[in-house]
Amino acid sequence: MRHMTFAKSLAFSAMISSGILLTGCNVEDGKDGKDGADGTDAVLPIGSTVIKTTPSGFAITDDAILVAPDAAEGDNITEALSEALFTIGDDALIVLPKGRFVVTETIAINSASGLTITGHGINETILDFSTSVGDDAIRFTGGNGITIRDLGVYEAPKNAIKALNVNGIHMTYTATVWEGDLEADNGAYGLYPLQSQNVLLENNFAFGSADAGIYVGQSENIVVRNNVAKQNVAGIEIENSSMADVYNNIAINNAAGILVFDLPGLNKAFGSNVRIFNNKAISNNAENVGAGVVGLAPSGTGVLVLATSDVEIYYNQLTDNDTTAVAISSYLLVDDELADYPTKFGATITAGWSPTVKNVYLHNNTIARNGANPQGVLLEPIAAGYASNMNSKGEPQTFPSILYDGAGELFSNLGELDGFNALLGPDAQAAGISYGAYTAGDLICANSNINANPAPQYDEVNTGLVYPTNPADITIMDDGVPQPHLLIDQMVNNTYLNCVQPRLPAAVVIFRNTLYGCTGDDLAEEACAL
Amino acid sequence: MNPFKATMATIILFSFALTSCVDSGDARSDNDIGNESRAITAGAGSPSGEKGDCNANTTGVNWDALMTETCRNLSDYKLFTQANDPTSGPSQGGLPYDLTTSLFSDYTSKYRFVFVPEGETVGYSESEVLEFPVGTVITKTFALPANTALRGDDELVIETRLLIHRHEGWIGIPYYWDSDSDATLAIAGKRLEGLSTINNQGQRIEFDYSVPQAADCTSCHSIVPNLTGPNDSRKQIFLPIGPKARYLNTNFTYDDGTLYNQLQYWEKGKLLKDLPVDFQSVERAPEFTDQTPIDSLTNSEVNNMARAYLDMNCAHCHRTGLTLPLNYAGPAGSSGLQLEYNRSYAEAPSKFGVCKQPIAGGKEGYPYDVIPGNADASYLLFRVETNDSRHRMPELGRNIKHYEGALLLRRWIVQLPSAHCSPGD
Repeated sequence: MRHMTFAKSLAFSAMISSGILLTGCNVEDGKDGKDGADGTDAVLPIGSTVIKTTPSGFAITDDAILVAPDAAEGDNITEALSEALFTIGDDALIVLPKGRFVVTETIAINSASGLTITGHGINETILDFSTSVGDDAIRFTGGNGITIRDLGVYEAPKNAIKALNVNGIHMTYTATVWEGDLEADNGAYGLYPLQSQNVLLENNFAFGSADAGIYVGQSENIVVRNNVAKQNVAGIEIENSSMADVYNNIAINNAAGILVFDLPGLNKAFGSNVRIFNNKAISNNAENVGAGVVGLAPSGTGVLVLATSDVEIYYNQLTDNDTTAVAISSYLLVDDELADYPTKFGATITAGWSPTVKNVYLHNNTIARNGANPQGVLLEPIAAGYASNMNSKGEPQTFPSILYDGAGELFSNLGELDGFNALLGPDAQAAGISYGAYTAGDLICANSNINANPAPQYDEVNTGLVYPTNPADITIMDDGVPQPHLLIDQMVNNTYLNCVQPRLPAAVVIFRNTLYGCTGDDLAEEACAL
Repeated sequence: MNPFKATMATIILFSFALTSCVDSGDARSDNDIGNESRAITAGAGSPSGEKGDCNANTTGVNWDALMTETCRNLSDYKLFTQANDPTSGPSQGGLPYDLTTSLFSDYTSKYRFVFVPEGETVGYSESEVLEFPVGTVITKTFALPANTALRGDDELVIETRLLIHRHEGWIGIPYYWDSDSDATLAIAGKRLEGLSTINNQGQRIEFDYSVPQAADCTSCHSIVPNLTGPNDSRKQIFLPIGPKARYLNTNFTYDDGTLYNQLQYWEKGKLLKDLPVDFQSVERAPEFTDQTPIDSLTNSEVNNMARAYLDMNCAHCHRTGLTLPLNYAGPAGSSGLQLEYNRSYAEAPSKFGVCKQPIAGGKEGYPYDVIPGNADASYLLFRVETNDSRHRMPELGRNIKHYEGALLLRRWIVQLPSAHCSPGD
């Protein structure tokens, strides 16, 4: 059986890698090492000689194509880079020189197969695109089995590293950076796989994006681990993507830490099966300078789930986020003109996008010191209600650490969305999407989360629901619209969201015939046992 | 049969025969009698199947080099009778053509030729690019006029791009005219600083021009697979963009002075097969040039021209489904914005950006891509007008705003049926 072969080669490579790693793993975000997750890269082609080992432990062999090896610090290496990349064969290893260099055009790479682009290290090779006349810094289109590693991409005019329609994209020990303050005219996405398969993003550092530092869109089979996303609008964003594991990452000082979004109107209409675990989302309180939908993410949010169903969020440390630790919302919070949905979103509903959010399960997260200063225009009335006596407790409350809008569920239970069933196309039906009342398997559940607030603030860690989900509990206002109730109760021993959901399966990335993720090279990883 | 039509046809055919006599040195193809016209590809030669040589001294097109070699000099391919002029005088078999609406490329004039190997034919396609046989070469030369009102006079020839249909698929190769005598391979592109032109509004525009890198060709000229699963290893397909029936379906004045519909000329010249017998059924995208009087167009004309403009300038990326092969899309097929000419607006205005929120991108003050009735707040128009590379559309090949194109799109947005995001709706 082929899987056995993978397992054997993994064990073998782990031994090799532990040797390599002794040479030093002093990279800024280098959590790697003890399990040798990255070591498979050190398996050498037969007959080649190592001429250099990067700080991350990657072996550069003598069959590598060296781009501008004699370039001096600050040189423009655009021409050398484009020429080297134009006529590459399969499985080429391209090595960028050591130092900080200027690149003045988009580097576009098409249909590469087995390509590896490496620098001399995440801090050792820096490509500066601040004077580029292109848009994206590096863009892979098509192709398979592509690695980019051990380099930094700075000041891209638009996106830093985009991978479009690639099957097998591996970004590791790569930095995407916009230096200075977080400003609206910083670039867009940092690491940006789009509509790709088998996406492995690990050990990267994303800083300063005016959109998402690490963004995976419309993709499937995704592992995002051991990355640091700092001072971006969104730290890590998984959008309209399926089978994604996001673990062992740090999202700090972003406007919002980790986002799971399903947005309407995209080619891949919806995502599912996203697991967010053993991450740290800390102090994500930067000002949201973003535009578009991400611009609506409230500053101060640790984890935000918007309209994506089948999400499991567990064993994360979610602390010091000024709005909330976890917000879970249907799309109705963004757009409550339900009557317009068939006109606006009919086609995307047919394709399977749904404004509702179902089966989100939060458990065993450590939650502390969130909600001190809730932000965001979307939440303004909600925050005002919790800060006054206009909530279920009748007196001012600290903003809930777990906030669920409840609107999509309530409207489903009221039968208000039944009409959408007629819009469902074959793909949506095959995926089991329907608009009746929520069943047990659809519920949003939160249990076994740890309140890590010290006394006397212990009571301030609460769960809140904007709308009750049971039609019997609602109050209909004069204009026929249900009234927000702003329910709130303690998170531990909770009344609200007190249920359990089945665990979700692990994501698997197959990259160059090796399996990555919790059922692949991380079988022994602690987070994968949680 | 209508006698008048018959007379016309005879005259036209006769003129074909005349052309062919001028430079015909090949006895095999001297069969232009009666209703038979000579094949356009006659005497063009064809690839031998052997490995090519950039230094081969061929009498006509150096087909073998085109098929296998990336030559250093454009002249190595012997595509033009005068090596220093890629704007006229194609080698035997080369045919000039024009499009009703074309991609804006910083106000350059474009000189297009197609070379098809002798005896080969081009297949008709209703909505997609015509099916050019292996061996086909398309050349497009970009020349910047001093004044766009006087195209053809005082132009700076900048670059010639080749699209070559090899056995393994199409490829694109850029050549930069770094001297008056020849153009040189420009894998890494070229940045030209301080160019200037005067547009039809009399505005003098100074700008830097980018000859794209070879790798950039694929960014526009490809359709990409919508990967359907973890084992889907399909590759991109490289394709020409412009020569679709709807853009070729217009009259062209050939070198001998003949005015002829291009598709019919190709068919008569045995270059094009399967052109529908009912020629009226062949789609035609309207003509839009910098001379088009935008202010005096009817709404219907504006709509049709804008759709052609969006198709030609945006839909090589912003396209998905419809007449593409199953599970292929343009490079921006993942975007919610799809702008093909053959897409129904009525079925889903949101596909044209109407009241659609920007997903990847966005800018404060531009809440939707297209807001019918409010062009100033429409993100699509902002992206078409801005030169900021963070937001600029199209992404490649435009360094300055296309004043006339933007004006057309502005009028299009204003005349669109009001939608829920429109002012006052």
